[in-house]
Amino acid sequence: MRFPYGPAALSMLVLSILSGLWLAFNPARRPQATLVMWTFAKTHYDAYKQAIPAFEAKHPGVKIDLQLVSWQAVTSRLQAAFLSDLDVPDLVEVEISAAGSFFRGPLKDVGFLDLTDRIKQSGLYDRMVQARFAPYTSRGRIFGLPHDVHPVMLAYRRDLFEQLGIDPNKIKTWDDFIAVGRKVTIPGKRYMLELPDSESSRFEPLLYQRGGGLFDPQGNCIMDNEIAVQTMLFYVPLVAGPNRIASDLGGGQIFTKAVEDGYFLCMIAPDWRSKTIEVDVPKMRGKMALMPLPAVYPGGRRTSTWGGTMIGITKHCKNPDLAWEFALHLYLNKEDLAQRFRDTNILPALKEAWDHPAYSEPRPYWSNQPLGKLYAELAPHVPFQYTSPFVATAKGKLSEALVACVQYYKTHGDRGFEEFVRKRLKQSADEVRRLMRRNPY
Amino acid sequence: MATRETEISIVRAPRTSRWFVLQHRLAPYLFVSPFLILFATFGVYPIVKSLLLSFYVTNGPKSAVFVGLQNFAFLFSDPDFHKAVWNTAVFAFWSVFLQLPMSLGLALLLNSLWVKGRELLRLAFFSPNLLGQVFVGVLFSVLFIPQYGLVNRFLHFIAGIPTDTKWLSNPDLVMPALVLTSLWMYVGFNMVYFLAALQAVDKDLYEAATVDGANAWHQFWAVTLPGIKPVAVFVLVMSTIGSFQLFELPWIMLNNSAGPDQAGLTIVMYLYQTGFVTGDLGYASTVGWTLALGVLIISLFQMRVTGAWKGGAD
Repeated sequence: MRFPYGPAALSMLVLSILSGLWLAFNPARRPQATLVMWTFAKTHYDAYKQAIPAFEAKHPGVKIDLQLVSWQAVTSRLQAAFLSDLDVPDLVEVEISAAGSFFRGPLKDVGFLDLTDRIKQSGLYDRMVQARFAPYTSRGRIFGLPHDVHPVMLAYRRDLFEQLGIDPNKIKTWDDFIAVGRKVTIPGKRYMLELPDSESSRFEPLLYQRGGGLFDPQGNCIMDNEIAVQTMLFYVPLVAGPNRIASDLGGGQIFTKAVEDGYFLCMIAPDWRSKTIEVDVPKMRGKMALMPLPAVYPGGRRTSTWGGTMIGITKHCKNPDLAWEFALHLYLNKEDLAQRFRDTNILPALKEAWDHPAYSEPRPYWSNQPLGKLYAELAPHVPFQYTSPFVATAKGKLSEALVACVQYYKTHGDRGFEEFVRKRLKQSADEVRRLMRRNPY
Repeated sequence: MATRETEISIVRAPRTSRWFVLQHRLAPYLFVSPFLILFATFGVYPIVKSLLLSFYVTNGPKSAVFVGLQNFAFLFSDPDFHKAVWNTAVFAFWSVFLQLPMSLGLALLLNSLWVKGRELLRLAFFSPNLLGQVFVGVLFSVLFIPQYGLVNRFLHFIAGIPTDTKWLSNPDLVMPALVLTSLWMYVGFNMVYFLAALQAVDKDLYEAATVDGANAWHQFWAVTLPGIKPVAVFVLVMSTIGSFQLFELPWIMLNNSAGPDQAGLTIVMYLYQTGFVTGDLGYASTVGWTLALGVLIISLFQMRVTGAWKGGAD
């Protein structure tokens, strides 16, 4: 019998039937894991891989599937997973700047489990640095357990400081720092500090250091308050104008080259970045050191915070108690945390963990300074960093305001600068508030 | 021919068989059904869903409140959207008025018989398009690095421009950097279209023009341009549409952001940020539909102005 539509159509039909049958009899393997967890940091992934066997041994039959999802993709993948109710992980680590966007809408519709009661009943609220719950809190409810504290210090080229006769112990305030910076900065060749003039990633820690922020505890946008204005008036002359002492070239290889060349003498360095510097600029081993952030005024706060990660349990999790136990296993085991600190330099949010000897070990890269001890001493003073579902927008608007202020200062200098800063910050804040007003919830 | 054979086979088949009549009627639908099912699932449904979503304010994936046309009203007073439209329009302008003449110029050059190694040059000019936008974005973000980047080193060497020029963190330089990158990537690609069109122009027309005393310039205006007009209109429309869909290049070059002062914010980037960073899929749908309508209007306008309605080349 001849197929009436020719051999081409027949072969298509046969192929489609065969492939359909093959798919029907070989369905995609269903995940066997009891808990699926996403993390975006390779360092976390490597550390958790080591911690999983102990948990699985303690819970026979339980299988943990740990997945590394790129930092750029984790937010959109999680949003899409929540939207489609497909492939939603049981636990997720979310970066601090993205966390707020998951707390939109009514509390009942937030994709993460409300962990407030578990955290308070277990005493973790007091055992961890309380300031670190703020970024993962919305309307008084806590949706994530903080992974870290990320206190901020200044990393500096110790060898060049010595050559230039700079005594870091004499730098107590930003005024001291600027005075030294003006002496040693050579425009286009050497700058006292690495600070960008085109985005706000390092403006924000300096804003927090002064007690400011993007939002207040109630979620109101406060990025145009007096603290923000004063921070901007302080920051812009550091990166623009004739007396600038700071510059920025970018990350990666160019950063490596710039540090090696002595283009920057100091860098804002939260604990995680101290590891980045170690890895990216290995030739500077023994030539680098850390000092507390200069204070805004004598006796003021000598640190701030930059970055962060939370672990959250999604509402799709079928076994939230087991997931909670696993989260605690990852975040509370002192021995594991100590090893993780050695590997990543990241200070955990659990205060009692800092007593471990690992945190007092001298680090050859940092001129044998006890890295953990230095950061741990500053950790209790880390400022609160409140969030909102509109945090990503606010960060963008703050960057826009910074760029506009830098442009103004480059053109007009001090003339009318304060008035411009107030006006521009208010404009940015009003744009955030305008978006927030659209929120019908 | 195939139709004829099919007809013959139908004639030879027993017409009285009910099975034959039934399968004859259903077979075409059966063959197109896989496409229709996939298109309905992955094409029509998302389009309809996004149209519906554009009338809602959504907070996250689960909460939606119907707001009618408020999203569209908000969009037209949204400074970020204005910025995105402006940036995209500037990019599209340069794509059309810089990129296409360059592509045509290159095509004319490489269509000339006196150019040696034309095949190699064609391949060389086209090859940037073999790379993806992401790869090109990474490559150029390194080339534009201040202090140590090749672009700055070169410009410093030939024009004394400071080596610490920040192409990607100075709001005034972001768009030129994006346009330069896209030129590198797409001039050769569009050149191929023009080359194909040039080779299709009837050579007799050039001979006739030469006999009539037309010089090279007159021949270009009177013979070449009308000859390649359908392709030129196609390239113009496609370049414009492509420019309005710009996303990956600035997203990668500006390190997953809109750049300083949102200088690299494009409409599609704003759509992405609104939908997947801010989590308002409703407003993102509004942006998407506005973009689609805008591109449609611009394309229709271009086709009308260039006379494509009347049959292109004529």
